[in-house]
Amino acid sequence: MQQHDIQSFLERFFAATHCPVLERSDGHIRVQLTVDMDKQLMNRPFYWHYVERIGASGEPLQLSLITKQSTREKGEYIHFGSPRLHQIFSVAKMNGRFVRLYERVSGRSVALHPWLHVNVLISYECDRKQDRLLSLAIHLISGTIVEAFYDVLKEKKWTATVPDYCFTISPLIKPIHGLARLEAYIERIIASETHEWANEARARWEEDLALLQHFYEGVEEKREEYESEKEALRQRYEPNIHISIINGGLFYLEAK
Amino acid sequence: MNVTIHWERSWKDEFITRMERDGPWANWELYELAREAAEALAIPQFDGLQAPKHLPHMTILPHQYEVARQVVEEMNGKAILADEVGLGKTIEAGLILKEYMIRGLVKKALILVPASLVSQWVQELNEKFFIPAVAQKKSYVWEQCDVVVSSIDTAKKSPHREIIYEQAYDIVIIDEAHKLKNNKTKNYEFVQGLKKKFCLLLTATPIQNRVEEIFHLVSLLKPGHLGNAEQFQKRYGKLRTLHDDAHLKELIRKVMIRHRRHDTGIEWTKRHVETVFIDFSEAERNVYEAIQQLKRAQPLFSDASLSHITLLREICSSKEALFCTLKGMLERQPDIEATIGTLLQKMNDITEHTKAKKALELIQKINDKVIVFTEYRATQLYLQWFFKQHGISSVPFRGGFKRSKKDWMKELFQHRAQVLIATEAGGEGINLQFCNHVINYDLPWNPMRLEQRIGRVHRLGQTKDVNIYNFVVRHTVEEHVFMLLYEKIRLFERVVGELDDILMKLTSPSFSNHVERIIAQSKSEGELKIKMQNVLEILTNMEDSAHAAT
Repeated sequence: MQQHDIQSFLERFFAATHCPVLERSDGHIRVQLTVDMDKQLMNRPFYWHYVERIGASGEPLQLSLITKQSTREKGEYIHFGSPRLHQIFSVAKMNGRFVRLYERVSGRSVALHPWLHVNVLISYECDRKQDRLLSLAIHLISGTIVEAFYDVLKEKKWTATVPDYCFTISPLIKPIHGLARLEAYIERIIASETHEWANEARARWEEDLALLQHFYEGVEEKREEYESEKEALRQRYEPNIHISIINGGLFYLEAK
Repeated sequence: MNVTIHWERSWKDEFITRMERDGPWANWELYELAREAAEALAIPQFDGLQAPKHLPHMTILPHQYEVARQVVEEMNGKAILADEVGLGKTIEAGLILKEYMIRGLVKKALILVPASLVSQWVQELNEKFFIPAVAQKKSYVWEQCDVVVSSIDTAKKSPHREIIYEQAYDIVIIDEAHKLKNNKTKNYEFVQGLKKKFCLLLTATPIQNRVEEIFHLVSLLKPGHLGNAEQFQKRYGKLRTLHDDAHLKELIRKVMIRHRRHDTGIEWTKRHVETVFIDFSEAERNVYEAIQQLKRAQPLFSDASLSHITLLREICSSKEALFCTLKGMLERQPDIEATIGTLLQKMNDITEHTKAKKALELIQKINDKVIVFTEYRATQLYLQWFFKQHGISSVPFRGGFKRSKKDWMKELFQHRAQVLIATEAGGEGINLQFCNHVINYDLPWNPMRLEQRIGRVHRLGQTKDVNIYNFVVRHTVEEHVFMLLYEKIRLFERVVGELDDILMKLTSPSFSNHVERIIAQSKSEGELKIKMQNVLEILTNMEDSAHAAT
């Protein structure tokens, strides 16, 4: 995401969270927050606590955001790395974690098949870091697993309820078991990789460890610093893979 | 495969609950946005920096990018940043910190800087890098804030020390790290005991006297990188410079990055230096002579020679400066009233300062922004009044001003006033690249302070040549110091920073005292010259070895 993508991201975010845009120009938007978004973004729990205690309705704030420094409007400058954008990212991630959606099919009567889809973040971590995003889905009837399924989902229109004339087929595989199969699949993908990065990290680790030991050669009692340095080296270099699910849910798709 | 996989399974548990309760479910747009947010936050590759493209308002210079990249990719986040003064070590450190934070490798950071720089660091990290750094003011800050800036003197004291030792820092950054060259000090011991994943040591002078100083700095980052202390001493103890041993140089290159001005490829503007000699008026000369007489007449002061020099320097600046000191002396020793009374009478005859008139003329001729530096507050006030009488607007500047006041004065100077009159340059001062004329109304006896004065304007961002005017009153103590110290080491002709190694040594108070003593105690001009010559020789030797060491 680059600077010029931020404005459209913000506009879509406020549309999806039902916050009306009051003003919009190139490089600037002003939005009216909903009560829910005010609570999530504005960090004023005492105010809302008070309002709710006395039974008043409370007034959510407006937010004026600038995405181009050249604009003359007043507001918070939002750029990558600004705390506000990181906050909006995490609110977006928080609010979009779980879905159950039906493909929008109009005027026909079709059977919709259940899929469990997840966006997965795999972080390869040592003294450096690299992330990989996977999009995987499992067909909860046949057990077929499809990679990059997100690209398929993106092309379709979605609705929160079963469209008229359509019906859903119940999963043969329970979603929870489907998830277990996806987890196993991910681990197989990782196991098939070469992990050169981990070997390189270990080599750097070994080198530093040897230097450390050399420094304390002939010292009878290993000092506290020795142990804490050694532990620090482990934390820094030890290769680890962290996997988390960003979001996921059930998708009912027209069978092809 | 032998890498441990860690699953974070909070999604799964929550998903099961939502299935049971049939919701709540997000809409497709939020689902999409969540994925895009995750994509934006992901680190696409092990190599290359992410931070610069997310700091669009900053101009990151090539050597600064290179330092940050090397530290992140090749040095595993443990490094001595040893660029010369003025090349932006703070920017480099901020860039590295930001990079690690974007990558999610650093959350908790401890930044130890001299007390006078704490607020500046906090401000720069917040405004330039959008890193929510906090100055340590209450003891709970250590635990509750992620990025904390503090002075090392506070941090090492109880109860802070114990709390800090409890914390596991992802990164520790130490500014002015040359203060850690001695491994026997409390500071050194304190830093050694910190839990840290990454560590940056910032210093412009990694080696000041002996090659083994580098051993202790490197050992803070990488214990054992240079073998053990005893062996090191045995093998390298006699070396005068790093050049003497290729192996050692190579090892050090793994942990230290140093750019000199000329390798940055940045075009530095020139310094034009002009000495403006001033002849005292008769009245001024009379006062000067009278002070000299005092020295011989009677032992007026508790440490006669030093106060005497002070008075001589002050009258070279202004009678106002002299008056302040005399008044103080009189309050402490009422019995000297008679002696001082005659002096005060002579001072009454001074109606106008020749130096001030000269400054006024020059400022009118320059007809552009000018910074005037003086050592004395009384002179500062006098000059402000004097310039005002002649229709020239000026603003004062002192090291003791609060940050906000400093910034305000800078604003006023930039937009409203022609002259800024400063009493203290100080490392923590402001940057005034928009001005390129400096008048040294009186000269500090410590050349490092002079370098800092000039450094306010002659730094990155200065587009014009810098003009420096040194005011020297003829046949006074000022001329002695100027001729012997500044002329001989040709300080003004050098580019900033070239002398930093040697200048660091001159910052010790003992140096200025030494010069003062020579002037005070020499019985004749000849003796004074010989003694000063000795000092210069020592300086020149130091300079040679400083050059060879890098």
